[in-house]
Amino acid sequence: MLPKSFKGGTHPPERKDRTSGLPIEAVRGITQVTIPVNQHFGAPLAPIVAVGDRVKRGQRIADSDGRMTVPVHASITGVVKKIEPRTQSNNLDGPCIIIEADGSDETAFMAPLDGFSCTRDEALARVRDAGLVGMGGAGFPVHVKLAPSKPIEFVIANGAECEPFLTIDERTMIERPGDVVEGVALTMKLVSAPKGILAVEDNKIHVVAGLKAAISERGHGMDIAVQVVKTKYPQGGEKMLITALTGREVPSGGLPMDVGCIVSNVGTLVSLVEAFKEGKPLVERGLTIAGGACERPKNLLVPIGTLVSDLVQSGAIAVNEEALKRVVFGGPMMGVATPHYSIPVQKNTSGVLFMDSSEARFAEEGNCIRCGRCLRACSCRLSPALLNSAIKAGNWEEAEAIGLLDCIECGTCSYVCPAKVQLVQRFRVGKQILRANKQKEARGAGK
Amino acid sequence: MPANKLLLSSSPHFFSQATTKKVMLAVIIALMPSTIYGIYLFGAHALFLVLSCVAASVLSEWLFRLVTKQALSIGDFSAVVTGLLLALVLPPSTPIWMAILGAFMAIVVAKEFFGGLGQNPFNPALIGRAFLLMSFPAAMTTWQKPLAGAIDATSAATPLNMIKQGVDMKDVIASVGAHDMGGFYWQLFLGNRAGSIGETSILLVTLGGLFLLGLGVIRFVIPLAVLASTAFFAFCFGMDPLFAILSGGVVFGAFFMATDYSSSPMTTKGQILYGIGIGLIIVLIRKLGGFPEGVTYAILVMNMLSPFLDKLRARKYGFVAPKKPAPQAAAKGDSK
Repeated sequence: MLPKSFKGGTHPPERKDRTSGLPIEAVRGITQVTIPVNQHFGAPLAPIVAVGDRVKRGQRIADSDGRMTVPVHASITGVVKKIEPRTQSNNLDGPCIIIEADGSDETAFMAPLDGFSCTRDEALARVRDAGLVGMGGAGFPVHVKLAPSKPIEFVIANGAECEPFLTIDERTMIERPGDVVEGVALTMKLVSAPKGILAVEDNKIHVVAGLKAAISERGHGMDIAVQVVKTKYPQGGEKMLITALTGREVPSGGLPMDVGCIVSNVGTLVSLVEAFKEGKPLVERGLTIAGGACERPKNLLVPIGTLVSDLVQSGAIAVNEEALKRVVFGGPMMGVATPHYSIPVQKNTSGVLFMDSSEARFAEEGNCIRCGRCLRACSCRLSPALLNSAIKAGNWEEAEAIGLLDCIECGTCSYVCPAKVQLVQRFRVGKQILRANKQKEARGAGK
Repeated sequence: MPANKLLLSSSPHFFSQATTKKVMLAVIIALMPSTIYGIYLFGAHALFLVLSCVAASVLSEWLFRLVTKQALSIGDFSAVVTGLLLALVLPPSTPIWMAILGAFMAIVVAKEFFGGLGQNPFNPALIGRAFLLMSFPAAMTTWQKPLAGAIDATSAATPLNMIKQGVDMKDVIASVGAHDMGGFYWQLFLGNRAGSIGETSILLVTLGGLFLLGLGVIRFVIPLAVLASTAFFAFCFGMDPLFAILSGGVVFGAFFMATDYSSSPMTTKGQILYGIGIGLIIVLIRKLGGFPEGVTYAILVMNMLSPFLDKLRARKYGFVAPKKPAPQAAAKGDSK
């Protein structure tokens, strides 16, 4: 059977071979962490510890009572040294809690809870208390995702990992297939979904056997199946994956639940299982460190808040400073370039790339030659070249009609453009302007 | 940490290997078989025409950019493509100075006045040709017998010319050295006939077109729509559909002129209608117009419609039709 897919997309060089065979290494002996207070998509939190307080690994250190919020926990045991703004992985300064380790390995985890027998409210409270957010990128609070207002048919484990370089999801599926499967089963139980799907791109076909074995062992007898999807960017985009697997399209402005789906990254599912079985909050995560300027690329498991520069200093990773041209938090297609790497690993940091000059070319923007490659590649069928002209002409009505607000910012258009037109870059700015204009209009109408 | 040397920009941080220059080079390579065959058929003057058109195009662009103090752009080879395309659609006996004038019109008036690469609403090479056709109708409709040598170039009529003039079909067939209809089609396919420098050999033009299709430089949509609609409408008007395609510049136009990025629509639906329109106008001009051939004007007329045809966009992912469309919004709708 042909692997399932969606229309459009592109196939950038994968560059996964340097790390796909390397087991996830747990990093020990981190002496200081810088934990951003706000690591989720939602209302901001406030610190609930003060400078000088001793905190244990797993203890809540920032929280809020808003619905779209999840707490943040201490990822090492030690003393709060400072609470001050630092650069986060989105390149903006934000409040961070800096903890210095005292060498103790005490923890303050919650009591284990059986997610399959406890009440729904207990389970959702546990998910929130564990500080779980989507670890694939957006940082959407998991407990909100698990309380859909519509019936769910499919729970989809997103193991597509379509970004080049990144291999952490692949390693997670190889090393912890049981937890991934149990995470799907648990999610299915919590949202009463009849079907579970483990989605894997066909460049990772070797993880399928392990996942299939795990389904019979730890699938709790539920209807879970592995589905192979085509290796293509952005196959791991939530909307594209849903379309590839179910043929359904998430309506414009809607959520996956509108078409009866919930999509969770495989790393998130493992953390979900840990939150119940071990009572362990989200205090560490796996990530891929790679790129041409990275001398010993690795898959690492590090405490949340670990500065990437500390990983280099401790010798866990090595960087060729001469060759280094660009540092990216995330993948090369959607990640954020940062001016330095004294920046913490956060709940949604799936990788850190040290790119060399052959990878991090910066191309001057040329004239659009109207070749139409972007129209063919756009995963949302948005006619990027036309959108670009509309934005440049300041024609916001036209831009909205073409679908500016539907753009998922996957960057495929900019990737395929022979003239290196800054398409997605202009759409990001354009979206903000369009939204601001609409708000202004709404306010004007209200008066 | 050497923070100052790190590149900062918005994602993506990865780019495909495709560049504008490579696209243009591919077109040049695709045109080479037809160019070489044209020079073989029509002699040294054809070679001089090709060289002078290319040189004049590049020079015009360079001078215009210099005078208007804009960044130089000849490095993208798009001017080479325009010059080459223009030369290939000229009669082999066109005077050199005329060709240079045509190249100047193509680059400066049709392309640079509108903002340069990607901004021109009309196909520059065809504007150059149309300008020459209007200004020097005699020279632009004088055709040369193939393989006759450059010095005593004898004039000949193209098969389309003969049909227009009402010449008996037997003589038309004999003009390409064939004896029956099968041989006639075959000769037209191979290209041993009077015509513009690069358009005569359907075989070589098609090979070039397939090369571009294979590389993904062009899509099959426009060429297929042009060829199919030319054949279809020719049939409707009682003409021989196969002859309609094999004669004149339809195949060259379909693969190399109608697919000009800048002056053709980008959306699939737009491209289909655009190709159909070109075929219809070609047949109308041949049947009802004053000219024996109509590819140039057919493409230029449809170029005008490109911006409107681009409104026929694909249905967006997850598009939901508004429940109560305001009359205005409905007119601007996005998923027809």
